[in-house]
Amino acid sequence: MRLIDAASWVCLLAPLAACALIALAGERLGRRACGLISTATTMVAFAAAVAVFARMLAEPSAARAHATSAWTWLQAGRYHFGLTLLSDQLSVMMMLIVTGVGSLIVAYSVGYMDGEDEERRYFAYMSLFVFSMLLLVQAGNLLLLLAGWGMVGLSSYLLIGFYQRRPEAVAAAKKAFVMNAFGDATMALALFLLIEHTGALDFASVFARAPRHGTVAALIALGLLGGAVAKSAQIPLHTWLPDAMEGPTPVSALIHAATMVTAGVYLIVRTHPLFQDAKAVEDLAAGLGAATLLMAGLIALVQVDIKRVIAYSTMSQIGYMFVGAGIGAYPSAMFHLMTHAFFKALLFLAAGIVIHALGGEQDIRRMGGLGRVLPATRALFLVGSLSLVGVPPFAGFFSKDSIIAATLTRGAFGYCLFAVCLAGAFLTGLYSFRLYLLVFGGPQSDFAREHLHRPEGRLEAPPSMVWTVAVLALGATVAGFLQFARVWHPLTTWLAPVAAPLADASNRQEAVASVASVALGLAGIGVASVLYGARRRRAPRPLALLEHRFYWDELYAAVFYRPAELAALGLARFVEAPLIAGSIGELSRGLRLGAGELGRAQNGLVRSYVLAIASGVALLAVVFLSTR
Amino acid sequence: MHGPEVTWYVVLAAMLFVIGALGVLVRRSPLIILLSVEIMLNGSNLALIAFARHVGREDGQIFAIAVMAIAASEVVVGLGLIVAMGRRNVELDVDKLRTLRG
Amino acid sequence: MANFVVWCVWVGAAFCCIASALAVVTFSNPFFSALALIGNLASLAVLYLLLGGAFVAAAQVLVYGGAVMVMFLFVIAYLGDKTDQAPWASGPSWQAVATVLAAGAILTEIIVAVALESGGGLSHSPRIAGSFGSPAAIGRLFLTDHLIAFEVTSIVLLVAAVGGVVLGSHARSLQGDARS
Repeated sequence: MRLIDAASWVCLLAPLAACALIALAGERLGRRACGLISTATTMVAFAAAVAVFARMLAEPSAARAHATSAWTWLQAGRYHFGLTLLSDQLSVMMMLIVTGVGSLIVAYSVGYMDGEDEERRYFAYMSLFVFSMLLLVQAGNLLLLLAGWGMVGLSSYLLIGFYQRRPEAVAAAKKAFVMNAFGDATMALALFLLIEHTGALDFASVFARAPRHGTVAALIALGLLGGAVAKSAQIPLHTWLPDAMEGPTPVSALIHAATMVTAGVYLIVRTHPLFQDAKAVEDLAAGLGAATLLMAGLIALVQVDIKRVIAYSTMSQIGYMFVGAGIGAYPSAMFHLMTHAFFKALLFLAAGIVIHALGGEQDIRRMGGLGRVLPATRALFLVGSLSLVGVPPFAGFFSKDSIIAATLTRGAFGYCLFAVCLAGAFLTGLYSFRLYLLVFGGPQSDFAREHLHRPEGRLEAPPSMVWTVAVLALGATVAGFLQFARVWHPLTTWLAPVAAPLADASNRQEAVASVASVALGLAGIGVASVLYGARRRRAPRPLALLEHRFYWDELYAAVFYRPAELAALGLARFVEAPLIAGSIGELSRGLRLGAGELGRAQNGLVRSYVLAIASGVALLAVVFLSTR
Repeated sequence: MHGPEVTWYVVLAAMLFVIGALGVLVRRSPLIILLSVEIMLNGSNLALIAFARHVGREDGQIFAIAVMAIAASEVVVGLGLIVAMGRRNVELDVDKLRTLRG
Repeated sequence: MANFVVWCVWVGAAFCCIASALAVVTFSNPFFSALALIGNLASLAVLYLLLGGAFVAAAQVLVYGGAVMVMFLFVIAYLGDKTDQAPWASGPSWQAVATVLAAGAILTEIIVAVALESGGGLSHSPRIAGSFGSPAAIGRLFLTDHLIAFEVTSIVLLVAAVGGVVLGSHARSLQGDARS
């Protein structure tokens, strides 16, 4: 077996081995040991991904796709689906992101979850998640991708509901899973259509034989978009993401910032030929992304939970990625995916340090002035925020601007997207620095004074937590230098064989986009400083619309939940109780009555018995005579 | 054949049988019931012998002799029961002998 | 002439048969019922003779009349006072109606089956030889075609005799038991 194939398998299976080991060993492994096993295997997976990447660099650009198949997974009639891993430019990029950021976050968890009751279960689930995500990105055919897709949803459910005894956590896990199941269903329908029209699900056959420009093509793309929208928490299937913050902070960082929620973007980029055949659905994707990024930005302005602000920020940034994928700027979308993974994970984990220091408190109204007590964390958080807003030279600037510039190449629709993206940039500056200033700026709040506890010594948190965050900050700073417009674009070149961009912005458009977005971002920061800086009490009252998050939850409750609840109650009262439960009682009562009546025939008198016999004989005689 | 045809004998046998059945059904004394059973058996004997005459072979008569023997055995057992009941001063009333009620 | 004589004999015997049967069923004193049954047996013997069953008629009188009925009379005499009253059945009237209906139905059906439905199949009986029903004929059949019936019947008789003895002795050893 060649090195690339072996390395691909190692990358995929190492986290699975960790999960299996931890799950089967149970209490025989110490808590810390479980964390170390999980971290080590994820790092091994990262090393394997690096090996694949290194080997791929040595090969010519056209020959970089390697498919390796273990065995025929499913064979039904003339349909063959193999257990195939595909290592090409796109998947290796995702592998590096997932395992790289993943290993940092798992290492962070060792410190964060120290002392938790069920650490072992946590690390088993984390490894399961890493395996599932790798399965998703390494899948060589859509069926295996769907399997990974579903397993990622499962891991998300398990990890959101990690604190099993909290009802809110359980409810959030269910909500996430149900919404994702809806997306899975639409994806499955799309796959059914693909099987019917192309006879296979591996990428090459599908792209070659899929129907073009028709209803079927649109339906297929729509189905895939449905799955992507659910997984990436875009409108209209977005309400699960803020609730998912019930899970532990590293979970939020890994799953709901860096990797799982970006799977939707990956899907669109991977199956972009199918989307290109259905222009309307592509535009729909971009439109949904734009709407989400605006809505999420607005909602983030009024959130009071530190993690929920970052969650809405994630939703907004993925909106950017959807815009990029929808207009055909695939390398830009992937670039932003990568930088976003860095700075969003950074923000989450830094927030985790704050939460850890305050003993679990997440309400930012109770925080304040933590910058003085946690200076390193403040610096790291600042780096993340600047990267998020898109201030050069941090990473977010390069990636976000490439998307915004690409929108200028799409005509009228593109200009609308451009305007929305710029508005989003302003909002990003505003809400992210609102958060930063409320948490770290100003005088120290009473709550913080009473409840702050940090370990002795120079480090503000356990070493595993601080150092991993530092590495992420480094990534958030320098990762942007990977690509800069048309001047220096190795990433686009790298991805070109797999996902060539449709939209290539000119230098002038790039300049316009960069200047505008940076200007608006800084304006947002300025407004935030005015409102939330030294004289923070002048913050305006939020709109009810924003406070209720645009009433999406209420809408879904009224449209989906209430009817189902009423139907269930109605059925329970009118069908189940009388018909099903009652029928059993009635049946037994009827039988008892019947038996009682029949028993009266046995009165012990010989005469009655003989009479019965005689009557029977008479009847039988009639029967015999009449049927002769 | 002189005299009535076989049909008449069979009808007569049927009447005997039914009279015997009525006796079994409406009398209370086990003795009378046993006598009625004898009448029923006699009725069927008559039918058998009538049919034997009609067919022209004596097989029916053989059957009738066997029935007579069986009737005799049954009467032995029945009377034995009645005597046993009488010895224990059990009232000879079928309506009172209901221990086997369900 | 012979036909007329046979008819007269038949009518007389049939009349006695039915009358004695009704007497058995209706008398309240079992002794009289038993005597009526003897009369029934005698008239039946006459009918058997008319049907050519000489041996059977003799067996009827000897076995039935001579043995079974004697046993009956003996038991009735033995039980004495206990059998003085043999009342009619009590019970709900619907049972009486049902009884009559059932009996009537059976009778009607048999008559219908035999007389009407047989399609004239019973109207012509064949001529028979003089030795029809003679002891020789019966004996030959018993010992050839129906040997097993013969043997089984004798076993049944043996069983009945044993049963009678058992029933009789049981009563003696358990004298004084409470009423069941």
